[in-house]
Amino acid sequence: MVEEKKIPLLGLDKEGWGVENMPYPKGVALIQARWDLCIGCGACEAACSMFHFGVLNRELSRIRIFRYHLPLPKSVQNVCCQCSDEERECEKACPLDPPVIHYDKEKFHMVVDADRCLGSSCGQCEKACPAQVPRFYPPNYDYSLVCDLCEKDGVRRPQCVEVCPNYALEFMAPQFPQHLERIHPDDKARYLAKRLYPLPKDGVQLPPEEIWGE
Amino acid sequence: MLEINLTTGEKREHDITEDMRKYLGGRGLGAKLMWERVPVEVDPLSPDNILYFGVGPVTGLIGSVVNVSAKSPLTLRGGTSNMNGHFGMEMVYAGYNGGILITGRAPKPSYIYIKDKTVEIRDATHLWGKKNVAAQQALREELRRELDDQNFRVATIGPAGEHLVRNAGISHDFYHHAARLGMGAVMGSKNLKAIAIRGTGPVSYHDEPKLFEMITRFYREARLKKAQDRRWGHNISIARRYYATTEGVKNKQLGWDPICDKTNSLILEQQYKVWNDGCNFCASGCKVPSLRRDPPLGPTTAELRHDNVGGWNANVMLPGFDVQVYLSSFVDELGLDNEDVSGVVAWMMECYERGLVTKEDLDGIDLTWGNLPAICKIVKKIAYREGIGDVLAEGLKLAPPKIGRGTEKYAMTGKGVAITSYEPRGSMQDAVDLVVVPVGELHGARGSERWMACDGLTICAFLIRQLNEVFGWDNFAVEFLRAATGWDITHEEWKDMVRRLRFMERCNCIREGLVPERDDILPDRFFEETIYNKYGQPKVLKREEFLEFRKKTYLSYELTPQGIPPKESLERLGMAFVIPELEKRIGKW
Repeated sequence: MVEEKKIPLLGLDKEGWGVENMPYPKGVALIQARWDLCIGCGACEAACSMFHFGVLNRELSRIRIFRYHLPLPKSVQNVCCQCSDEERECEKACPLDPPVIHYDKEKFHMVVDADRCLGSSCGQCEKACPAQVPRFYPPNYDYSLVCDLCEKDGVRRPQCVEVCPNYALEFMAPQFPQHLERIHPDDKARYLAKRLYPLPKDGVQLPPEEIWGE
Repeated sequence: MLEINLTTGEKREHDITEDMRKYLGGRGLGAKLMWERVPVEVDPLSPDNILYFGVGPVTGLIGSVVNVSAKSPLTLRGGTSNMNGHFGMEMVYAGYNGGILITGRAPKPSYIYIKDKTVEIRDATHLWGKKNVAAQQALREELRRELDDQNFRVATIGPAGEHLVRNAGISHDFYHHAARLGMGAVMGSKNLKAIAIRGTGPVSYHDEPKLFEMITRFYREARLKKAQDRRWGHNISIARRYYATTEGVKNKQLGWDPICDKTNSLILEQQYKVWNDGCNFCASGCKVPSLRRDPPLGPTTAELRHDNVGGWNANVMLPGFDVQVYLSSFVDELGLDNEDVSGVVAWMMECYERGLVTKEDLDGIDLTWGNLPAICKIVKKIAYREGIGDVLAEGLKLAPPKIGRGTEKYAMTGKGVAITSYEPRGSMQDAVDLVVVPVGELHGARGSERWMACDGLTICAFLIRQLNEVFGWDNFAVEFLRAATGWDITHEEWKDMVRRLRFMERCNCIREGLVPERDDILPDRFFEETIYNKYGQPKVLKREEFLEFRKKTYLSYELTPQGIPPKESLERLGMAFVIPELEKRIGKW
């Protein structure tokens, strides 16, 4: 039996998030990551682990940051996008019945039954998710960790969204099917690298001999 | 603290809590280790030198900084250099929040592999010779294939470090460099090409909810206060400084030239800005890479800041950022320190102009002002120590005597570190700030108490003003340390920690031959030649005024008027062990 400690929310005194004071959505919603705006600070990881576990530990965070060299260094976020019923690969892959990892239709977010989860020795949900989102933290927290939109008493206030200094995370009702967000971080890096065309992957410029001859 | 002896392959862990509580981490502990472990007058490029990657008790919580300390091959005295990015936090995550100390010399090109408690010295022959970004990518790819973990943080040296160029630096993630004072050459002399580190361990601080509350409170403020840094990066100061006559023009011959107007951060941002990137736990995200696509110089990318570009602009008569997007990366990739090398090149340009060196001396390079192809050629020679590059690679302390012929007069340096971007004649404060740093002419206020404290805590010094506004500087330091470590620190104890850091660094340098009254000085040009700014106002430094200001600064740093830590303070701080050694050098004081 594992217990999760919860600590008070960040407590911004306004009714929404972001500089425009965006309202919190009702109903189906997800955290949408804007990869180009991520500056890689890791505050989202800290806010998540602090809210759910009361510690600063990025390995216990449900949103993870991956850093690539495109050749420019760039960090991208990876978080559960609360897939719709038909697309929810993790739920389909769970060997138990009813599935340990499932969507709560009243609270509108993913839920993991920690007591029943078989943990990293199973790991089917992680393998099934194309973005490899579910993570485990054996031995203490050996159950699937996925974003639950920081829901407490029916109110969802995702802490990562509120702390991000560059507004690279948005809490929105889905604008298109959620699973289109579900991209593996390696692919996110590849897409961003296109912006740097024509820089090659491992070079930052042409050698002077090519520019001026020798 | 993890200690690795590259000669024997031995690895040990030390508990340095006591020392850290006295000297702080990073720069303070580095200075103490240099005092204890590096014999006096040893060759910095020998295996007896140490290389200490220092972190502190609060690294990674507000900006993640690694302070690299070693005996500097450039100045032949104490050396220290900072590197931001994600390396410091990873060291803390791996469990080495006391830093990593490297001694000895590896028998063949190696890299150090650290994943939590697994530490290995591995063969790096396949990486030797690669430029920085290529080496880092190759290493990360290799480790990714091996471990299915692509989040390794890597720090490497470039070809310049491998060839023991005295102003080589250590690079991490393309635009974070521990560039100054030749730390890369020390790493190269140890046959160490790279360090790859990954930490997954939990880090437990004493009072995490309190830390988190302080961090997020600062985040909210910093997000707003640092909005301009996030937009432009750190290159706006260059343009501003040209107008205040505090930025170098034509190796400090002039106070202004129309070429200065070409430096325009607005145009840079609107043309070339790609996105923002930043360091661990810092809301600023002040790294702004630029991408230039058009030929002939493009495609090229760089991250332009005051420090790496200031020396390459009007100081060598280059017209602004369009060109720097190529040059800055070219130098970084070779593993050289942009700031120092630009000083060496500017010096050579002036000597060439005056006929003190000929085209033959420069191996046929026509090193005229603003000649970009010539600059690239000569920088490459320096990095590989070819021809004239072999002499120029010695830096501004050792190269001028080797060339002689009156070139020493035009080398803009006091202790051996090139004064490139900064023009002291515009501001007495700047001028004195440059000279009172014991290790050399590091830019900015690196000698001031707060900046030195940042290098000990290790946090990013660009946040000092905002931290002061939000918390009050000393309050912030004491509260943060208490919450992170659980030490019951008072304000007085905190101030003593910073004093020990400052004094230890100074004592180190004095033991290696620094005589503050004689050496904390600027070249004669700044006292004898008057320059004129854009509006015709004359600027020059008056020697008596300068010395007076310097003395006042020493006193404000709690030193004697000769710039030496007073005996009573040393005894009170428990540093009496330095007194006999210093007396050998400078007699009684």
